[in-house]
Amino acid sequence: MLYFTIRRLVGSVFVLLASSFLVFALCAASFDPLARYYTLQPRPPETFFANLREELGLNDNFFVRYWNWLTGVVTGDFGQTINGTPVADQLFGRMLVTGRMIVLAMVIAILLAVVVGVIGAVRQYKASDYVLTFVVYLLIALPTFWFAALLKEFVAGGVNDLFGQQVLYTIGEQTPGLELYATSSEIWLDRLGHLVLPTLSLALLAFASWSRFQRAAMLDVLGSDYMRLARAKGLTHRRAVLKHGLRNALIPLTTVVALYVGTLFGGAIITEQVFVWNGMGRYLLEDGISNNDINVVLGWLLVSAFFVVLLNLVADILYAVLDPRIRLG
Amino acid sequence: MRSSKRGSALVASGMVGALALSACGGGGGGGGGEGGEAAQGGRVVYGESTDFPENLFPNIAAGNAVSTANILRGILPGTHVILPDFSVVYDENLLAEEPTLSTDGGTQVNTYVIRDEAVWSDGTPITADDFEFTWRSSRSGDPADGGCASVLSTNGYEQIASVEGSGENNKTVTVTYETPYSDWQGLFSGNFGGGLLPAHLMDNPDPVALCDTLTAGWPIGEGIVGDISGGPWQLLADNIDAGAQTVVLTPNPEWWGEGPNLDQLIVQNIGNDPTTAVQGLQSGELGVIYPQPQLDLVDQVEGLAPTVESDITFGLSFEHLDFNTLDPHLGDINVRRAFTMALDREEIVAQTVGQFSSEAEVLQNRIYFNNQPQYQDTAPEEYKQQNTDMARQLLEQSGYTAGPDGIYTHPQRGPLNIQIDTTANNPLRQQTIEVMIPQLREAGINATFNANPDIFAGADKPTSLEAGGFQAALFAWVGAPLRSPTQSIYSTPQGDNVQQNYSRQGTPEIDALFQQFVSQPDPDAQTELGNQIDAALWEQVATVPLYQKPTFIAYQSAIEGVEDNSTQAGPLWNSETWTAAQ
Repeated sequence: MLYFTIRRLVGSVFVLLASSFLVFALCAASFDPLARYYTLQPRPPETFFANLREELGLNDNFFVRYWNWLTGVVTGDFGQTINGTPVADQLFGRMLVTGRMIVLAMVIAILLAVVVGVIGAVRQYKASDYVLTFVVYLLIALPTFWFAALLKEFVAGGVNDLFGQQVLYTIGEQTPGLELYATSSEIWLDRLGHLVLPTLSLALLAFASWSRFQRAAMLDVLGSDYMRLARAKGLTHRRAVLKHGLRNALIPLTTVVALYVGTLFGGAIITEQVFVWNGMGRYLLEDGISNNDINVVLGWLLVSAFFVVLLNLVADILYAVLDPRIRLG
Repeated sequence: MRSSKRGSALVASGMVGALALSACGGGGGGGGGEGGEAAQGGRVVYGESTDFPENLFPNIAAGNAVSTANILRGILPGTHVILPDFSVVYDENLLAEEPTLSTDGGTQVNTYVIRDEAVWSDGTPITADDFEFTWRSSRSGDPADGGCASVLSTNGYEQIASVEGSGENNKTVTVTYETPYSDWQGLFSGNFGGGLLPAHLMDNPDPVALCDTLTAGWPIGEGIVGDISGGPWQLLADNIDAGAQTVVLTPNPEWWGEGPNLDQLIVQNIGNDPTTAVQGLQSGELGVIYPQPQLDLVDQVEGLAPTVESDITFGLSFEHLDFNTLDPHLGDINVRRAFTMALDREEIVAQTVGQFSSEAEVLQNRIYFNNQPQYQDTAPEEYKQQNTDMARQLLEQSGYTAGPDGIYTHPQRGPLNIQIDTTANNPLRQQTIEVMIPQLREAGINATFNANPDIFAGADKPTSLEAGGFQAALFAWVGAPLRSPTQSIYSTPQGDNVQQNYSRQGTPEIDALFQQFVSQPDPDAQTELGNQIDAALWEQVATVPLYQKPTFIAYQSAIEGVEDNSTQAGPLWNSETWTAAQ
């Protein structure tokens, strides 16, 4: 196991290196951070352009720029944005914002996926299975941005109308300026109101595909010999399903969930954009790509890739831990 | 009691999120100013659709953002303000009387008298020292000359010979120019992207140390130096949430003028997604929005009436075509004239900005805008209506012959294929070109649309405007009521230095007129020169003006006083006069 883990870790470093080099090359070839100043009226003086090129290292050749970035990252310095803010300062806070959304969404999605998957398997081809399958496929088919927009338009509006007051919010992580006059309980309530829709948006789409995996795994298990043996030994159907069936059927889902984290990061980019959550996704789109800022894009990439690689590794290890028949070496 | 008020603020709908702190009137805490009859208190959330600033210092690259300008509008004092009708007037809050202008002896002298009561938020009087420091910090970008290379613009300040203080408490300021400068009202003015800087907090006699201070600016995480303000609003560092991308402006306790009436003006970054803006208004989370107008957006917002009010105006940014005169086809003036005659610009306007407002009209002038009093229709009659026959004649005069597909071709230059470049992901520009294409085809010109992601990139990108790797380009110039900066767009290029003259076409006559234009402080004489320049530009038809771009403001009806100012002054230009019903 240790050898396997070390081998995967070393491999991951090369994955991170290769992906960062590739993205750096793409950004360096297509980004021009000075572009927004050329058509400014009045046009800035040439000294300004020369100074900015020097400051941003644009006069250096490509390999020197990449090397400078890489050596900085090794020492924890992710460089500065084109406007002079250290990227590392932003990454941590942004990770917390995105992390809050993703972790909560994962918890909700896992619980829902297990319940719906088990019901679907146990009641296979019954009305409830057909209804759940229909709903799940509908969710799988919905694009993230559209589903999020529907939640904002109908769920938020409907719930708020129902309560006659603002319960669910559609913009930001909390009502701006609230801390200047509200109590801590009011702030927490407000944050919860802001958290519900983006989390649901992310969770429901993730749950949809996970529940299909859970259903398939459960069906496999239900048809296995040891389940029949358990029933023959006199265990109730409920006990056999929950104690013997579900535990074994959870193993494949663990892997799927861990591997799906990368997709969740992708979904979070859209969700953050729609709900104006200033997490990693908006950092990439607004501060990185829109601003032609190579350090921001690479900062995002490195953090995202790190978590994806880490969770893939965790998935492999968990698989071995949960299923003693699997040996890694 | 207080708690219940907070509770009601939290649940208030239809207004801007939560409402008043001191809603019951009578008692304390009503913010700044002697409000007269204006309602006091409340808060308004402005949904900022442009980038959240990383730096609040307006004179460097990092602070060069619309959002920075919107925030600073009510914080940094300035000598002049731009009103919604594009007129430029002196700021009576800062100045005790209208500044004087003298141009005797070939130089220019302006005298400003600062109000006695004008002070910074820390109680330090605003004096001539602040004028002198503002000038010195922006007068040069050359470190060898004691300047600072980080400074974004030295325009105008570089022509000043001295700034001297006099009078009681150093409140009279005399600014002497080496050569006359027509746009003097734009200097020392917050509405023009700058504003007076607090000398007592920033000045340093060592130019290198001063340059370091300017280069560092005011990072968003630290806020404005000393939390200083010389305007109605103040931005305390504690009220900046860079993570959530919101800032909360509160009344400046030392403000000597009227207002602000609100307790808080919140600037919240919402990105440029129009759906977010509309839904934010609908849910009451946003009070005012100022997004780029799009047809769907305008329709949706208008559907929210009467809870929400909205208004479309035409601003200081205009769309136009640039012809690259180095192109084999477009280097021929007959081709440029034929191209222009083939266009039905009335139809283009009707199919694009005309969809937003019936007041949209064709722009016939590059120097002045339709809604400026200086505007004259300088376009020759031949370009005012589509004239396909005349266009064909001109092409044939230049040796073009029509092919079997109706497209003209030239024995040396080949078929008359013109690619029109524009920015990517801009539906309005794409629609403009798509309307043009069939019009041009009628005249035998095969035009195509090209979304060019590198259009505004530097000269190292071969298809950029700077590099000249295009045939025709459609884009906008964002202007100001004061028009001297247009010189760099139309002056004859000097070698590789094209400035912003991407058509690469100029004449000695236009250059000479511009020399007079930028050094003519008399407004009437300058207007005459500006219109002469534009008439001369029509003779070259290297650029074709199309239309002014619309701006769109929408706000909750419960907020009073909101009015679009489609200039650099922006939507928050009069926010100190806003009131929110409670």
